[in-house]
Amino acid sequence: MKLIKRTYIFTAKWLLPVMIVGCIFCFYMIEYISYEETDEFLTYEMQRLVKYHNEFNELPEFHQVTHIFPDIRFENPVFKDTLILETGDNEMVPYRELYFSINHRGNYQTLVIRHLLLGRDDIAEGTFMIIIGLMLLVAFSLFIIVNYMAGKIWYPFYKTLDKLVKFKMNGPLPDFPTTSIDEFNSLNKILSVLLKKVGDEYRYNKEFSENTSHELQTHLAVIRACTEKLLNNPDKAPPIDELQKIYVASTKLSQVQKSFFLLSKINNREYNNPIEIDLRKTVVQALDFFDEAIAIRAIKVESRFEPCTLSMDPGLAEILINNLVKNAVKHNIDNGDIVITLSPSALIIENSGLPFVGNAETMLERFAKGKNGNIGIGLAIVKQICELYGFRISYILSEQAKHQIRISFGIN
Amino acid sequence: MKLLIVEDNLKLLDAITETLVEEKFLCETSGNYLDAEGKIYLYRYDIMVVDINLPGGSGLDLLREVKAQNPETGIIVISARNSLDNKLEGFELGADDYITKPFDMAELVARIKSLIRRRNFRGTRVVSFGDISIDTTKRGVTANNQNIDLTKSEFDILLFFFSNPGRVLTRESIAEHIWGDNMDLADSFDFIYSHIKNIRKKITSNGCNDLIKAVYGIGYRLNIN
Repeated sequence: MKLIKRTYIFTAKWLLPVMIVGCIFCFYMIEYISYEETDEFLTYEMQRLVKYHNEFNELPEFHQVTHIFPDIRFENPVFKDTLILETGDNEMVPYRELYFSINHRGNYQTLVIRHLLLGRDDIAEGTFMIIIGLMLLVAFSLFIIVNYMAGKIWYPFYKTLDKLVKFKMNGPLPDFPTTSIDEFNSLNKILSVLLKKVGDEYRYNKEFSENTSHELQTHLAVIRACTEKLLNNPDKAPPIDELQKIYVASTKLSQVQKSFFLLSKINNREYNNPIEIDLRKTVVQALDFFDEAIAIRAIKVESRFEPCTLSMDPGLAEILINNLVKNAVKHNIDNGDIVITLSPSALIIENSGLPFVGNAETMLERFAKGKNGNIGIGLAIVKQICELYGFRISYILSEQAKHQIRISFGIN
Repeated sequence: MKLLIVEDNLKLLDAITETLVEEKFLCETSGNYLDAEGKIYLYRYDIMVVDINLPGGSGLDLLREVKAQNPETGIIVISARNSLDNKLEGFELGADDYITKPFDMAELVARIKSLIRRRNFRGTRVVSFGDISIDTTKRGVTANNQNIDLTKSEFDILLFFFSNPGRVLTRESIAEHIWGDNMDLADSFDFIYSHIKNIRKKITSNGCNDLIKAVYGIGYRLNIN
């Protein structure tokens, strides 16, 4: 979730209780003021009546007295609430009444004057309108403020983030801008140090494997050249069997080293040139490349292709498919079969082979041993490429000695 | 045919030179960048075999120099890195072929001969041996003046033998020649044996002598006698 969205949600969550408390407060406040004002009005009215009565000993013509109860006396004026049916809209309407007594010609009379009150439903409605209006105003100004804040205060942060996203291992170090905010400055500083360290490590690692590769392969080339020469001169040569072993071992060693070098390059993401690839073409090319080997072993190939377009480095796609097809040919049996199913979401390669005892998944491990003691580095390369692209790979072995490798591309 | 071989590992340089001299090439050698650069300015070579990693500079720069001095020179780049970038850069600069360390001498000889055939526009592109001749442009093979039909790998293997007459070609070397980095396919089954068997069958059925002899436990050899 984006920082700004999170801020909105968080603020909105806190605004809700504030709104409720505000509503309640506002409601009682209005009600209190309404009572206060009505009581004040009634009190002044009472004082006017009393004054008039004192002067003229009667009530004015225009008086607003609602009731007059003779022979009842209240020591002090008393306020009361009452509901009176308003016939106009057939509704009970709240009124405030003031009972007070005056001495009229020796007898106490209780006068009642009344005034319309604000109804609670009216107050609630008013309160609600006020709060909603206020909240809208607050929300709008918050929106403006938060947006401004995100744009202004968080700008260096987003800039840093953007540079990090664009950062490439073999590219130059990103140049983070200095800001007036200390936290961001120290974040940028730490990131710079970290990235430099990571970049140095990466370059060192890359250089190391390249140099190792160069040295190793050059000396292996010498060994191979010399043994080759001796193999061609059996008269001068030491026992040919030993010579043969040296030759084969150096060949194997160089193959293994090449594979390790490739693995480390895949791991270092040195193949990073993704284009849209029609995997069908790659599979067809691989089958074409191995077709003679397939024919020699009389392997039956069955393929079911649907269009499958992936964004991949073309070199890696070729290595992936070649290794899979090669594996299916290499570990097959004479007159065996290979079934290749390609769909937009998965590639399944199934081949007949020798029964295998043990956990099939270990076949994908880097140092898995085959029946000849070979390390299963081809499949380790396949696995590494799958990991790089987030493909799911599984190795299934059925009872009929069918080896099945399934790669689910997923949507990434 | 004059060759310049530039390689900083002197043992490998010796091994390469010895092999190429045996093949009747005129060879000059150079163990570092500066020396090679001087030679390029002074002489003309038909083919330069150059390692990318050199003391004093990159083989790719030498490549540039050669192309500027004498564009006719054929160039084979040697690299231990097997890195695609170098390969692409090499081809862009005008390299004709690219070979990764370690390689068999038979492979290097085959590549040089193939390059000479491609460069030699006036000359013949037919390689003959005994009653068999290979037309490398048409990819056709005749035995006793009759066409024989070889598969792609069979053709490549036969041409590999013809480029290295008398030399023992190991099974590994043949596998690498036809499958490159995928040569480990040959680990599980004797594909090479099957290919050789088919080639022999096709040649002898046309009444030619079987020129390919097995060298027990090692590989095969094209018999020159």
